[in-house]
Amino acid sequence: MSTLSSAAAPLPRTSVSASSAQAASIAAPATVGAPFRPWRLLHGREGAVFLLALLALWLVVSTGLSFSGSYLFPSPWASLKALWISLPELLKGTASSFLILVPGYLLAVVAGIAWGLLVGTVPALHRLFSAFSRLASPIPPTIYIPYAIALLPSFRTAAGFIVFIGAFWPIFLNTAAGAGALPQRYRDNARILGLHGAEYLRRVVFPAALPHIFSGLSVGLVFSFIMLTVAELFGASAGLGRFIQLYADYADYPRMVAGILYTSVIVLLTTGLLEHVRRRSLFWVR
Amino acid sequence: MSHHPATAPAAPGLQIDAVNFAYSGTPILSSIDLDIAAGSFVSLLGPSGCGKTTLLRLLAGLELPQSGRLAWQGRPLAGPSLDRGVVFQDYSLFPWMTLAENVELALAKADPHSDLRQRRAAAAEFLGLVGLDSATAKYPYELSGGMQQRGAIARTFALGSPVLLMDEPFGALDPLNRAKIQDLLLAIWSGSNPRKTVVFVTHDIEEAIYLSDLIVMLGSTPGRVIQQLDVAFPRPRQRRELVRSPEFAALRQRIDERFQQDLIDRIDAESLVTSAAEGI
Repeated sequence: MSTLSSAAAPLPRTSVSASSAQAASIAAPATVGAPFRPWRLLHGREGAVFLLALLALWLVVSTGLSFSGSYLFPSPWASLKALWISLPELLKGTASSFLILVPGYLLAVVAGIAWGLLVGTVPALHRLFSAFSRLASPIPPTIYIPYAIALLPSFRTAAGFIVFIGAFWPIFLNTAAGAGALPQRYRDNARILGLHGAEYLRRVVFPAALPHIFSGLSVGLVFSFIMLTVAELFGASAGLGRFIQLYADYADYPRMVAGILYTSVIVLLTTGLLEHVRRRSLFWVR
Repeated sequence: MSHHPATAPAAPGLQIDAVNFAYSGTPILSSIDLDIAAGSFVSLLGPSGCGKTTLLRLLAGLELPQSGRLAWQGRPLAGPSLDRGVVFQDYSLFPWMTLAENVELALAKADPHSDLRQRRAAAAEFLGLVGLDSATAKYPYELSGGMQQRGAIARTFALGSPVLLMDEPFGALDPLNRAKIQDLLLAIWSGSNPRKTVVFVTHDIEEAIYLSDLIVMLGSTPGRVIQQLDVAFPRPRQRRELVRSPEFAALRQRIDERFQQDLIDRIDAESLVTSAAEGI
């Protein structure tokens, strides 16, 4: 009951204020003396207003002000123009980056989910692995980069390995937590039906843990991008991180900002794709 | 799973001998003795907290007793087995599978050598048995509570278990759907051959009378059998006539009074303890 009412509470509140805001905006011109509250017009548009304000700030800083470091703030127009000019180079960089990101991330997905399901389900494996996992999972994977580059045959394998490490831990930890928290009812049902071993993992534990697994997948994806771009700053000959580093070195700040904007869009599109897959896979979660 | 058919004149059914069960030190069930004949429909009737669900979980093999013995057809129960299917109150179906996939999974476990095409056809047949022909491709969240429970019954029949354990399966349904699904259950139970042994947990006296051959009344703290009542009404039972009959009313009243008596006994026992404590 308490969860029900707390879940329901925000809804009436928003609808009440929305309708009163509507009433105010309709009634304001007609009712003399009614207090005019312009901020009510913002209701529900705060996010867009904030983004517009940021853009305005960028405009003012880059074009309206003149100070010693103003060349570090290229105007939006200059940045967009640089983006347009660099597009072929950025696309090539994307391909190069994804050739590292995709194998590293997919390997982490497969290993993290498989091992997470096992560790979350088999108590002996949990005892075997949990001490190591508690020790190793909080280590920032960036500290392995120099060693990985020294150890592995090519930059590509080294960067792929770093991406793998960055994505593996969040995926593994979330999957293991989801499998470990399998609701009693699913376990009972599986036992009644005589489901064991791989079939039990595949048909019961994996789907039941999917909500947890998807949180791991999205955190892991963001980590992969961080690891990838950081690794590219170290020693890549191509790629998105390399592009940004290169033009920062050349002090071509419009291109650098263009690279940042472009990379943000790529990250947004990729995480958006994952979110789409998540919604489709978890249709049965109410 | 099917061994030699029982050669004894009356096939032994479910046996519960001197079973005790405690949960982290708290006694839940105390010295339960019960014989359930194969092919009969038995209700475990009692107030909440009387351990009726725990007793059902013991019969399912989902829990093991601290002492005592449970057996089906003479073989002690050591854990869950496909010869005892279970319908839970509201979560027997996996929510990520369609109705048909849920039933097909049971069919695959019941007969691992069957192929997918056979299982598809059989699943449709079992779902047809409970009137869900048109909902086979639906997911549980798309179905009403009554339809989900019909699907759960179909799944248990697909398992082919000779024993059907049901834990307040209709407790969440409205009266109309509840009556409909009771009639459906009775119809497919009496159509089963050999007739399945059903253990049905409920706290609804009328439901217990309408469905059962035998009502086992359980009292609480700790759970124990306070009385067993044979329900001799002929089958098939006609709801309309039965609920109006004086025999039905008399039985209902007898059960009600027995529970009241148990309640009063417990209040007296407690006040005895309290007054003794006050005397110290």
